[in-house]
Amino acid sequence: MTRPDGGPDIDAAGADGNGRLEDAVADHLRVELVRFVRALRRAGASVPANAATTAGRSLTVVGLGDRDRVRSALRAGLLADRADFEAFDRLFEEFWRRLAAGPDDGASPLDDVDGALAPFADSADEAGESDDAADGDDGGGADDSARSLTESFAAAVTDESSDDGDGDENEEAAARYSPAGAAEAVAGGFPLGSTDLDDAFADLTRALADVQGRRFGPGDDHPNVRRALRTSVAAGGAVLSMPRRERRRTAVRALLLVDVSRSVLDAVDRGFLVEFLRRARAAWGDNRVFFFDEDLREVTDAVDAPTAAEATDALDAAEARWGGGTRIGDSLSRLRETAPEAVDRNTVVFVVSDGLEMGDVAGLERELSWLRRRADRLLWLNPLATAAAYEPTARGMAAALPFVDGLFAFAGPDDVREMARQLRRQGAGGRVGYEFDPRRTETQRRTTESPAHTTNDP
Amino acid sequence: MTDRPTTAFADVTEAEIRAAFDAEDYVAEDDIVTTVLLALRLGKPLLVEGEPGAGKTELAKVLAARFGSELVRLQCYEGLTAEHALYEWNYAKQLLAVQSGGSPVDRADGGSPTTDADADPRDPSVFTEEYLLERPLLRALRADADRPPVLLVDEIDRADDEFEALLLEVLSDFQVSVPELGTVRAERPPVVVVTSNRTRALSDALKRRCLYLHVSPPSFEKETAILERKVPELDGLVASELAAMAARLREEPLRKPPGAAETIDWARAVAALRDGGGDGAVGTADAGSAADADGPGTDGELAPETVRNTLGCLLKEVEDVERVDDRLLEELLAAAERARSEA
Repeated sequence: MTRPDGGPDIDAAGADGNGRLEDAVADHLRVELVRFVRALRRAGASVPANAATTAGRSLTVVGLGDRDRVRSALRAGLLADRADFEAFDRLFEEFWRRLAAGPDDGASPLDDVDGALAPFADSADEAGESDDAADGDDGGGADDSARSLTESFAAAVTDESSDDGDGDENEEAAARYSPAGAAEAVAGGFPLGSTDLDDAFADLTRALADVQGRRFGPGDDHPNVRRALRTSVAAGGAVLSMPRRERRRTAVRALLLVDVSRSVLDAVDRGFLVEFLRRARAAWGDNRVFFFDEDLREVTDAVDAPTAAEATDALDAAEARWGGGTRIGDSLSRLRETAPEAVDRNTVVFVVSDGLEMGDVAGLERELSWLRRRADRLLWLNPLATAAAYEPTARGMAAALPFVDGLFAFAGPDDVREMARQLRRQGAGGRVGYEFDPRRTETQRRTTESPAHTTNDP
Repeated sequence: MTDRPTTAFADVTEAEIRAAFDAEDYVAEDDIVTTVLLALRLGKPLLVEGEPGAGKTELAKVLAARFGSELVRLQCYEGLTAEHALYEWNYAKQLLAVQSGGSPVDRADGGSPTTDADADPRDPSVFTEEYLLERPLLRALRADADRPPVLLVDEIDRADDEFEALLLEVLSDFQVSVPELGTVRAERPPVVVVTSNRTRALSDALKRRCLYLHVSPPSFEKETAILERKVPELDGLVASELAAMAARLREEPLRKPPGAAETIDWARAVAALRDGGGDGAVGTADAGSAADADGPGTDGELAPETVRNTLGCLLKEVEDVERVDDRLLEELLAAAERARSEA
């Protein structure tokens, strides 16, 4: 590849992915593309969640040799509205300038390099397998350059290094729960790929479905010609009556906001959490998944990995940090600013959190009010609510309660099953939630009846 | 999640795409070429937005003519349902089969009742291939040609949200389930072009799955080139005059500004008149190359009467036609004169 003033033929610019940019240059390209996407969103452009990945793949096709081609490719991959072209054109100048400047060591993706962009594979392994005999000796950088660019873009909502997300030291010291923790690998005791959740999840899907599918059920929207035809057989082909039918509501549109702070992870198994998210993605189709602690980051692509084990690896690769502090209000504010399209009037919003807010409660109320107005339903899944003695007295949880349609226990498949049972019988907004959980009332009854409870003896 | 079939155009080159546009007389700027290249290489649907007449539908036709086995067109409208877009059963035929008292296999012509290899040929069911009416989406998925078809979902903004959701399902994995026949999956995913006139906002889910291309109204230079290609019987100077007048008209607050398609119609009408009246037939913008004319038209300037009498080809609203009073007509002719002098 050459500089833009003398770009190569478009097809020589990296379509085959035989070579690789030097690691530093490839990283620089990733960083600048992510920065560009963020700048677009800050400027108010509507950039789809997977757009950075699409744009990255586009660059592997057109290469970096021609500025106008890069502009066209990025515009096609990043935007979805003519109204955003002006902001794009303005910010593209800065993107191109920074890209041409190269990383700190002075190398630029626009300089001649022996090779091309690494292909955007769906996993690190796949990227590695795409190497062929044409590869030069990579030395120690081979593994790094084989890391899938897709994974890098899956982490596009994590803060760049210039954004300092550190919590206040005093807060950290004062907080008994949700201490700001260091990044930690994703792991859990729940067996990956377990089928324990299958029935529970199917029940939950049936309970929540409110989007019309293609299947028909009893109803009166359309004439049921097929049934009329079948019943006419008994009458020698004469159609005596016209049964009717309507479309069943079989699909769920959901937004999953998962608190991955230390206090939540102490109470819920990570393997179960990953399994729950993967099933939601697989069964409900059009939904998005965000992790939050002190900040918000989208992990939808990582959750979509082919196997549960790969999903956990992808979450690691996406730099999904586990075990930080909790700033629910700030995280929801970030959602409102960067991805408001993730929730609409058909969306069921799940918030998985213990509600132990370290931030401003007034801000949390404000953001929950916005979220509740936009969503169809807001369900709060709290791992602490599995305890029979639990009451939502934590200030964040207490502030959130007026906005939620149901607060449920959430620590394992049984909790999902119970939530589905309640929603099926009562519907969201009815008499549902942890306080109506028969397991809780049974435990409380046994406690009050036990001799230990009736005596004050030590 | 299902693995998506691989695209058949992983090796297509920019040169091939440019050649395809040239061969079909479609004047494409670099951004169109690049975006189409990406759509073919990455196997992603292409969402094309722009004013009516900008050449969105024509783009799909060019791709079908050069890269696809056929063009499968689904024209969207309000109330479009799965039955009209995917498949439905031929109930009248089924009813006749049932009333005849025998199974389809007992028909007098002895034809095979089904082409489904897994079906029992003695199966008296009336839910077999024989009674299936294939609609555009299913047809695009089941095409068995060496090259995939081009699926044109035209004016998606006219359809409602429910149909958009159905389309998403099909575009996600390029497969659909027919309960009586099983899952139909495209061996080669079709090239998908979705067009929109922006009469309503499309869902984020649809936008997320597509590459985006906005086709702007043509510049003066581009429109001149389009007219020279599409209406070769028209003198080049006159083509530039017409393009200049169309560009000037677009500056007016018209109810429906003319697109490139209307300008081509107008140019053909003018060419027909200048060729001596002929039959005066005006071709459509979607026609391929214009028919050979007897010869090039004269290169004399356009008369005001010719412009006024043919404005109906360019402007499709009575209010817009009435807007062209003597003053505006003079300005149009002045623009044409400038274009002629600068050509």
